[in-house]
Amino acid sequence: MRLAFVLAEIGSGLRRNLSMVVSVILVTFVSLTFVGAAGMLQLQINQMKGYWYDKVQVAVFLCSDGSTAPGCASGPATPEQQANLRKLLQSPAVAQYVNDFQFESKDEAYKHFKEQFSNSPIVDSVTPDQLPASFRINLKDPEKYEVISENFSSQAGVESVIDQRQLLERLFSAMNAASLVAVSVAGVMIVCAILLIATTIRLSAFSRRRETGIMRLVGASKMVIQLPFILEGVIAAVIGAALASGTLWAVAHFFLGGVLSKQYPDTAFISPAQTLLLAPALIGLGVLLAGTSSLLTLRRYLRV
Amino acid sequence: MIRFENVTKVYDQNARPALDSINLEIDRGEFAFLVGASGSGKSTFLRLVLKEDRASSGAVYVAGQNVAKISSWRVPRLRRGIGVVFQDFRLLPQKTVFANVAFAMQVIGRSRSVIRETVPEVLKTVGLEGKENRLPHELSGGEQQRVAIARAVVNRPGILLADEPTGNLDPTTSMGIMGVLDKINQNGTTVVMATHDDDIVNEMRKRVVELRNGVVIRDEARALYTSMIPVVGQSRRLRDASGREPSDFGAANGEAQHAGEGKL
Ligand SMILES: Nc1ncnc2c1ncn2[C@@H]1O[C@H](COP(=O)(O)OP(=O)(O)O)[C@@H](O)[C@H]1O
Ligand SMILES: [Mg+2]
Repeated sequence: MRLAFVLAEIGSGLRRNLSMVVSVILVTFVSLTFVGAAGMLQLQINQMKGYWYDKVQVAVFLCSDGSTAPGCASGPATPEQQANLRKLLQSPAVAQYVNDFQFESKDEAYKHFKEQFSNSPIVDSVTPDQLPASFRINLKDPEKYEVISENFSSQAGVESVIDQRQLLERLFSAMNAASLVAVSVAGVMIVCAILLIATTIRLSAFSRRRETGIMRLVGASKMVIQLPFILEGVIAAVIGAALASGTLWAVAHFFLGGVLSKQYPDTAFISPAQTLLLAPALIGLGVLLAGTSSLLTLRRYLRV
Repeated sequence: MIRFENVTKVYDQNARPALDSINLEIDRGEFAFLVGASGSGKSTFLRLVLKEDRASSGAVYVAGQNVAKISSWRVPRLRRGIGVVFQDFRLLPQKTVFANVAFAMQVIGRSRSVIRETVPEVLKTVGLEGKENRLPHELSGGEQQRVAIARAVVNRPGILLADEPTGNLDPTTSMGIMGVLDKINQNGTTVVMATHDDDIVNEMRKRVVELRNGVVIRDEARALYTSMIPVVGQSRRLRDASGREPSDFGAANGEAQHAGEGKL
């Protein structure tokens, strides 16, 4: 009976305040979408770290026809220079840091390039000559990049030494910055959501003050009086959180899965299923927001 | 049933207390009128019984319990034992007579079958048989007050507090309401009614507690609205203050100032 009563009260409250309830839904939807976006970026970073960190290498690029680096003043790397570099890699001073290494010739580089950009017109304008040959080195400890850099960058025939890991770190820090922005926007929106929920509950309590006054006098418990208001806010927030989760799923499914993964086939994007892991967190956050905000409001505006 | 021990209530430090060292006991099953001009502290008395407000000093006992010692989560239980009726009825306008009375049972978790059984009984007690499905605006003032009384007693409280329940009603209708309250009192409920309706008090011949400026100036059994015993000191004090004889005119002025103050 009491449950039926509380449910009926919630229903009438939601109907009575429909426009406010809709705005609570929208505000929580937008704010939680930003929270979720930050979460997705973090998931993506972790995913890429896991995927790339055992694959990333230090690349020692050899001078080619078009090289402009000072070390390449004497033209493309000669086979002797290439053999010297290989010897250096196998010398004990360097080999102790190296797991293994491969040589990637110009033709192989071209092949990889073509694979990577298969659906981009840039492929047609590139020839094997323009791509440098390189040694691809797997380090035992990726942090020891300096060793390779010191030993190889001044060698004859070397154009440059590039730590792919550093490139990735730059990408990750950009993604981290983006998720920080998303979190800040989410923070502002969450403040909006809290205030709006508080206002909604206040209006709701005001429009039902007759009922609550009578409930108080006939001895209804605090819970029976307050629960409909709290649940009203919580239900609106949960709907908002569900919409946010749906949006994230759609982004993962249609944008990451449908568009980006075609453009960057060798990048591991998070799957739509992974974004659904965020849904419970978002819904929990929505419940927490609405619950605390309405509890605090009721304490002030609905005397029991 | 209700006992006030040296109870003082101060709302505003700069004003005189609303109630000033009240000592009073109302027994189980009694019917007591609380009379006095507006602002004399009648509503404040009732609010303290309900623990709507806390006494500034002294102790209020309801059914043997010091209400100051009742923790906030047990206040609802205190209130279930007390029915309240107001001058302005306070019905829910969009609910039928039946639903208004049933509301008081729903919110404390009574089962549907108990509600369906009890509400018609109580409506019969207050004389509203056959009006179950009317909306409040389809009822006369007296009938609306009967609905309010039905709602106040439907959970069978031991105490019924009525704050000027006939204040909005004409004399004939008021007498009908008094009949209902008397019947409820006959069934064993303690009734405390705040009023300044002298005809009713004179007609009923019940205990009368008269308040003036928050002080009990008279407590008589089977009494009239105005005392038969002249209170010499009191009238002199009033004359000194206003420069003229105390009269009904003075009381009426007081009414006007506090009119529309039906809150409890
Ligand atoms: N909530 C309140 N805040 C401040 N003063 C109040 C409040 N309620 C009543 N009073 C004052 O207390 C005194 C007694 O009021 P009340 O108990 O309502 O008298 P009555 O019901 O006899 O008209 C009055 O002077 C009134 O102005
Ligand atoms: Mg009053």
